[in-house]
Amino acid sequence: MDAFNFSSSPLEPERYREALGDPGAGGYASFEGWVRDHNDGRHVTRLEYEAFEALALKEGGRIVSDAIERFGVLRAASVHRIGSLAIGELAVWVGVSAAHRDEAFAACRYIIDEIKHRVPIWKKEYYVDGDSGWVNCERCAVAAHAHVEHAHGARAPDYSRQIALPEVGSAGQARLGAASVLVIGAGGLGGPVLQYLAAAGVGRLGIVDGDCVEASNLHRQPLYGTADIGQPKAAVAAAQLARLNPEVRCEVIAEAASQGNVDDLVRGYDLVVECTDNLRAKFLVNDAVVRAGKPAVFASIYQYEGQLQTYRPEPHSACLRCVWPEAPRDGLVGNCAEAGVLGPVPGTLGAMQAMQALKLILGLDDARPSGVVIVDLLSLDTRVIRAPRDPRCDHGPDARPERSAVEPLELDFTTLDEARAAGYELVDIREASERRFDRPGTQIDLHLPLSELLDGRAAFPVAGRQLIVCAHGVRSLALAEHLRAQGRDGVWSMRGGLAGLSP
Amino acid sequence: MKTVHVQYFAVLREQAGRGEETLATDAHSAADLYEALRGRHALTLPRSVLRVAVNEEFCSWDRPLHEGDRIVFIPPVAGG
Repeated sequence: MDAFNFSSSPLEPERYREALGDPGAGGYASFEGWVRDHNDGRHVTRLEYEAFEALALKEGGRIVSDAIERFGVLRAASVHRIGSLAIGELAVWVGVSAAHRDEAFAACRYIIDEIKHRVPIWKKEYYVDGDSGWVNCERCAVAAHAHVEHAHGARAPDYSRQIALPEVGSAGQARLGAASVLVIGAGGLGGPVLQYLAAAGVGRLGIVDGDCVEASNLHRQPLYGTADIGQPKAAVAAAQLARLNPEVRCEVIAEAASQGNVDDLVRGYDLVVECTDNLRAKFLVNDAVVRAGKPAVFASIYQYEGQLQTYRPEPHSACLRCVWPEAPRDGLVGNCAEAGVLGPVPGTLGAMQAMQALKLILGLDDARPSGVVIVDLLSLDTRVIRAPRDPRCDHGPDARPERSAVEPLELDFTTLDEARAAGYELVDIREASERRFDRPGTQIDLHLPLSELLDGRAAFPVAGRQLIVCAHGVRSLALAEHLRAQGRDGVWSMRGGLAGLSP
Repeated sequence: MKTVHVQYFAVLREQAGRGEETLATDAHSAADLYEALRGRHALTLPRSVLRVAVNEEFCSWDRPLHEGDRIVFIPPVAGG
C-alpha cells in the first residue's frame, strides 16, 4: 500500500496494520481520528470530507516518509477518509511500527499533526438545526493555496511577530496583503526591498529589471547565487521570493523601465520603490509617479554613502526634480567609471526603502517635512536635509518634458573603422586610467578626458562632426546632450560605448 | 571673516580628501565659498550639478553665509 491514501469507503485498520509488520519491530503505535458530535459549541449530525487529491496525496506521502527518516521507525502509513461520514466513524488512521515505543509514538504524533497542518482537506459539518458549513482543517487551506500556486509543499509564513506590534495588528497585516508594490531595479537596493516586502506579506510585487545576473553583482546582491549567473534577474528574483513566501504574487517584467512602459507599469501598483542605478531611470520614474499621483521611495548610493527620498502625492512633498531642478545627467557624477561599493551599503539603503514602503502601506509614515536622508556608513552619520517642495516645480508633466531629440543623439556602430568611414571624428572622453587596457590598434582621433572637459583644462572642438565615445555610452550621451543643449550641433554619442563594439 | 563648517559628500569627499572641515572664509554666499574651495581642492564638479544645504536645509546658491553656518555640498548619486 502507498504510505498515504484516501478511501471513500469505511477505513479498515486491521488490514492496514498487517502491512506494517516487520521482523525488527518491537512495537506498533496507531492513532484513529473519529467523527464527534460537536464542534465549536454546535451539535454536529454528520460530516463530509473533501480533498484536493492530487496535491494531498503527494504531501501526505512526503509527511510519512519524513517521519520514517526523522524518527528512524521501520514502517509508517496513513489513510484518510473522504465522502460522507456518520458520528463515531473513523476519519483518519495513522500507524507506525518501530524497534522501540518512543519513536513509534513520536512518529505517529508527528504524522497526524502534520496532516492536519499541511494536507489540503476540508470538512463540511452538518448541524442539528439543518445548517451546514465548510471548516478548514486547521491551516490546510493556506497550505492548499501554496500548493496550487507553487506545486510543492510550502507553508505560509507566520506573521505573528509583526502583528504583535500595536501599530500593525491584524488590520495592518490585511493592508499589507492587499497592497501592491512596483520595485524598479532588482540589484543591490532592489534585492533587500523585494525580500523584506515579500517576507512581510505584501500581496503583489512587480519586479522590473532587464539585466541578467553577473558575477560582479553577487558581492552586493546576495538574493542571487553563482548558479544564477547569466539568468534574467527579474525571473530569478521571483523564484527566490516564491520560496520565501508562496503567498506573494510576483509579476516579472524582464525589461528596463522606459518612456514606453513606465506609465502603464506605475499605474498598476499602489506604490513604487525606485532601485535603479542611473539618473535617467530615476527621473523617468519620478515623472511617472508624479503624473500618476503615486507615492514612491527613491534611493541611490555612492561608495559608502546613500541618499533616500520619499515622495508622497501631497501638496508639500518634494519630488526628485524639486531637489534636483537641473536633472543631472549620468556620467557627470561618476557612475559608469566604477566607483566601487561594499555590499552592505546598498543593503542598508534597500532595507531603509523597504521600511519606508511598509510605513506608507501601514500608515505609519512620520510627519517630518519632506527631505533627503543622507547616510554615511563610514562615519555612521545620518542627516536629514529638509527639502520643501519647490514652488517653481509645478509637479505636472508639462513642467518636465523629456528632452526630445530632433536629431538622434545616439548612433550605432559595430567597429570604430565603420564610424570613421562614415565621416565622424572619434573623441574618447574616458580618463587616461581607463585606457590602459585598450587593445592595441584602438584608433581614436582625440582624447579629451571628461574630468578635464568639466574643469576647463580641455575644450571640446567648436566645429566638425564628432562621435563621442566612452566605456559604455553613458558619459558620452551625457556630454552630447550637454553640448547640444548649448547649441552645438554635429555631436553624437556612440551607443553602448567601446564595450558594445564587435570583438 | 567668519568661521563655517563644511561637509563633503560622495565624489566631492574623494576629491577634497576629507569628509569635513572648519574654515575661516570671507565668502559672501554659498556659491562664493564653493568656487573658492573648488580651486583649493581641485573639485571637478560644476556648481550646476550640485545642491547646497545650509543648516540642514537645501537652499539656493546665493544664500548669504553667517558665522557658524553648517554647509553641505551634495552631488547627486546614482548607484544601486
